[in-house]
Amino acid sequence: MSQSTSNHELFENLRLELRRGCLSLAVMSQLRTERYGYTLRKALAEQGLEIDESTLYPLLRRLENQGLLTSVWREEEKRNKRFYRLSPEGKLMLKQLGTEWQKINATLEGIL
Amino acid sequence: MELLNRYLHAIEFWLPKRQRHDIIAELSEDLRSQIEEKESQLGRKLEDGELEAILKRCGSPLTVALRYLPQQYLIGPTLFPIYRFVLAMIVLGCVVPRVLIWLGFLIADPAHSGSMHMENLWMTVVYFAFFTTLAFAVVERSGVRFEDLNTWNPRKLPPARDPNRIPRFSTLCEIAVNTIFLVYFINLFWPRPVIDLYGATISLAPVWQFFFACFVVLAAVNTAFAAANLLRPYWTPLRASLRLLTDVLGGMLLCWLLKAHVLVGIIAPSLSATKAIVVTNLVNLGMTIALPWCIVFVIVILGVNGYRVVRLWRANRTGRPNAPALNDLSNPMVNGN
Repeated sequence: MSQSTSNHELFENLRLELRRGCLSLAVMSQLRTERYGYTLRKALAEQGLEIDESTLYPLLRRLENQGLLTSVWREEEKRNKRFYRLSPEGKLMLKQLGTEWQKINATLEGIL
Repeated sequence: MELLNRYLHAIEFWLPKRQRHDIIAELSEDLRSQIEEKESQLGRKLEDGELEAILKRCGSPLTVALRYLPQQYLIGPTLFPIYRFVLAMIVLGCVVPRVLIWLGFLIADPAHSGSMHMENLWMTVVYFAFFTTLAFAVVERSGVRFEDLNTWNPRKLPPARDPNRIPRFSTLCEIAVNTIFLVYFINLFWPRPVIDLYGATISLAPVWQFFFACFVVLAAVNTAFAAANLLRPYWTPLRASLRLLTDVLGGMLLCWLLKAHVLVGIIAPSLSATKAIVVTNLVNLGMTIALPWCIVFVIVILGVNGYRVVRLWRANRTGRPNAPALNDLSNPMVNGN
């Protein structure tokens, strides 16, 4: 394995690690209004945060199990879709995480 | 859409039964939305290759399914380092003694080395490894909480050991043992063909004089080394190499002595001539039997000392400190005390 390949792999691993923690926050922020999975992915992608389906749906399921999201199946455009939105606990958590994010961001801005 | 159905079916296989329908319905909806969007962009139905590209980008069925499953492990991250350590100790405890004994017999008595049943060794290792793994898996499943992880006290941690420091106590013991050995040995076994010992007359082979001289020289050299270690209680590559050399020479001499049938005869007032021959033969036989064990002992010493030499020389060559960095904490040059 060449040095550049291993550096690239290392970068990818670190990048994914960095991204992983931010995804929950990003997803929760987009679910202040009700959305289903596909439109949620598109909304995030339009703002520069691509997320594939095999990452998003397990994450939504986890957040729902933690009581931060609520979901409901509903028919739209002749197809059944599962709509998600933030629960009251989720709104509170989003506020706390948002504050924490601002702090981390400000600190890192200073450091970097 | 046949490809899509096959893809979803393959994912479904790996999913937990209760959530299967829900997950597949949601994933299916997402993929159908993607396909529809692409078709409306192109103004035609997707070809198989284009559909295949969408599914490939989504990931292999197993990868996708695994992301929905909870993280599962036989032995969790808390127990795993302990498990690995115990497993290594058990496997080493099984393998090392048997291999050493086998080697000892192979060198000293090749005819009997086959009776060590080395073919059973691997089965023994597998059994031990299996039952160790099983025991740890049961502990993991039982959800035992290790209170020590939360209630630990730094004062109760074992003291940090410096592998390069020669303990003063062991050096003093070494000097004492070597001195006593020298005095006792020279007094009792001054090299002559016949020795009077506690009323018995022991006849020794002429080669005994050579062994005697070698053991005396080795004991004297070891005493001198120990004295040097007392003044500078740290291993250096040179000192470790000399220790390896003297230990190997001593071990080899002992092995040779056991094989040399050095006892020629015993005469004692209470011992008949026939019995004296039997005792002489028994002593020589005992020494021969002890030979493989002595070889094992020499191999162990060679391993321990050899490892130390290699470690010190390697550290010396690479320029890294040959003692752990934490030793620097007690070094006033480093911490500024």
